[in-house]
Amino acid sequence: MGTVDKLNDLQLRRAAVEAGGGEAKIKKQHDAGKKTARERIAALLDAGSFVEVDAFVEHRSNEFNMAETKAPGEGVVTGYGTVDGRLVFVYSQDFTVIGGSLGEMHAKKICKVMDMAVKMGAPIIGMNDSGGARIQEGIAALSGFGEIFKRNTLASGVVPQISAIMGPCAGGAVYSPAITDFVFMVEKTSQMFITGPAVIKSVTGEDVTSEELGGAAAHAEKSGVAHFTAKDEEECIEKIKKLISYLPSNNLEDVPFEMPQDPINRLSEKLTTIVPDEPNKAYDVKEVIAEVVDGGSFMEIQSGFAKNIVIGLARMNGSTVGIVANQPNVMAGALNVDASDKAARFVRFCDSFNIPIVTFTDVPGYLPGVHEEHGGIIRHGAKLLYAYSEATVPMINVILRKAYGGAYIAMSSKHLGADAVFAWPTAEIAVMGPEGAANIIFKNEIAESSDPITTRSEKIQEYRDKFANPFEAAKLGFVDDVIEPDSTRPRIIAALEMLASKRETRMSKKHGNIPV
Amino acid sequence: MRKFNITVNGTTYEVDVEEIGGVSTAAPAYQAPVAAPAAAAAPAPEARKAAPAATPAGASTIDAPMPGTIVSVKVNVGDTVKSGDLVAVLEAMKMENEIFSNVDGKVVAVNAAAGASVNTGDAIVSIG
Repeated sequence: MGTVDKLNDLQLRRAAVEAGGGEAKIKKQHDAGKKTARERIAALLDAGSFVEVDAFVEHRSNEFNMAETKAPGEGVVTGYGTVDGRLVFVYSQDFTVIGGSLGEMHAKKICKVMDMAVKMGAPIIGMNDSGGARIQEGIAALSGFGEIFKRNTLASGVVPQISAIMGPCAGGAVYSPAITDFVFMVEKTSQMFITGPAVIKSVTGEDVTSEELGGAAAHAEKSGVAHFTAKDEEECIEKIKKLISYLPSNNLEDVPFEMPQDPINRLSEKLTTIVPDEPNKAYDVKEVIAEVVDGGSFMEIQSGFAKNIVIGLARMNGSTVGIVANQPNVMAGALNVDASDKAARFVRFCDSFNIPIVTFTDVPGYLPGVHEEHGGIIRHGAKLLYAYSEATVPMINVILRKAYGGAYIAMSSKHLGADAVFAWPTAEIAVMGPEGAANIIFKNEIAESSDPITTRSEKIQEYRDKFANPFEAAKLGFVDDVIEPDSTRPRIIAALEMLASKRETRMSKKHGNIPV
Repeated sequence: MRKFNITVNGTTYEVDVEEIGGVSTAAPAYQAPVAAPAAAAAPAPEARKAAPAATPAGASTIDAPMPGTIVSVKVNVGDTVKSGDLVAVLEAMKMENEIFSNVDGKVVAVNAAAGASVNTGDAIVSIG
């Protein structure tokens, strides 16, 4: 065999791998509204930048009929390339090759690119479309999952990890995405669950479709597993690219900078009137965020889950910031179990990757109720306190209106380490709302009064005048400054510039013990 | 202001009760001496909650996201609603919270009337 023949052989072998499961299966994939593994990579990466790794890996299982089963590429395409010129590592499961099932060598391919991503300090993006563990390979397949989970965990906080669910993702397979930083799901074509509808039916008798159980809507609104959803794969990939544009490539890198079009000293008149005069009326905090950040740069995360708190990434003066804001429009903006979890994990993400955190506070408190107490609001609420206390990135808090009690402390208060705390003149920083406080402090006066209703409202007003303002907190230095709402943007940007060189060290330890 | 029907010796009185203390633990102290009305009052909210139509099978319900008092229900049985339409206002945490539908459909039952106290997960309206 001469060199020419060997080159031909190479081409044939490569072509066979690139053909995946063959035309019929690719057509089936397309008919289901799904792209192939290679098409997905091509859509994600800059044109011509993809370099494949491990194309010729084959499984070595000979149990059952596996010895005769050909699996071109082992059911997963792996490698690296660039997104907007920045290095990323990718793996993309190939559903056309024995259902994208995960066997020993399939997992080894994934592990190799994960290891490379960590060494090179670049994000890793996994596109999941797999029937699950390759049962014929038995425990070798399970070992594959375990190796991936371990790497996901060790890479957490070192490089950003993104998972896109573009087909089935069931059983053990769900836990790799769950450990990663962001999970994207495609509506109608992706499902995630530990046990599918058939098993659920046989065990508990519940009837549920796989879409109801683990579709994009279920995970975006009910479970909170999915951070982003998209109507199709194109939109999903565009959103992944957009997300990457906000993220540093690793934990030692600064956040990306994009030349801002929005003037840094822009005042916003709209903010002056956004908080209603009536304390029991709500408003949309997303309007506040939109006014303050660089025009149009806010990318909300988990927008359908625990809507009483809003989180997302944005740019201010061209650099990425993380936004956390209570949403008075939903559940009065109270903190409950889900909202605490959602915000705490995001704060820790930002802290891992040097992303400054800007918080907008309007919180009436932790949500009361048996449901919440028995749901573990003590344990979950503690996560938010822990996350803010632990963070060493620049932290700025703007108190828009209510900041009561424990929730005031939890929402990036001075006490937990916020570097700059601003309050609008509408801020009410107190142990509790005027109604509740007056009932306790003036209990006797109200009870003994000949006209308790009038006395009560007088006392509420007395308390409101005394404490429902930002100046009591400012007197003690817990609020650095009371600011005009229209100048919120320039004030935050100035504070971020001042904080750019912030260094804060912590005592050396293995890791803390967050109340997970 | 909450309304209770109290029956004394066969005669029913409609009584308005204004809660003057926001802290519920204070309430029993005031009520203790008048045991009879208190005892009679207790079942009333239950009765009122039970009175509106139960959720018909197959309908989905718009539930209270947190404990509070219904200020107003914005839809009537037979109305067509779309996902995102305002269906009720719930006062909780000293705030008027707007409750929106998350499904398209026709209102088949109003499960909680204005003034009703609801708990997390209680149905406010049913949409079929």
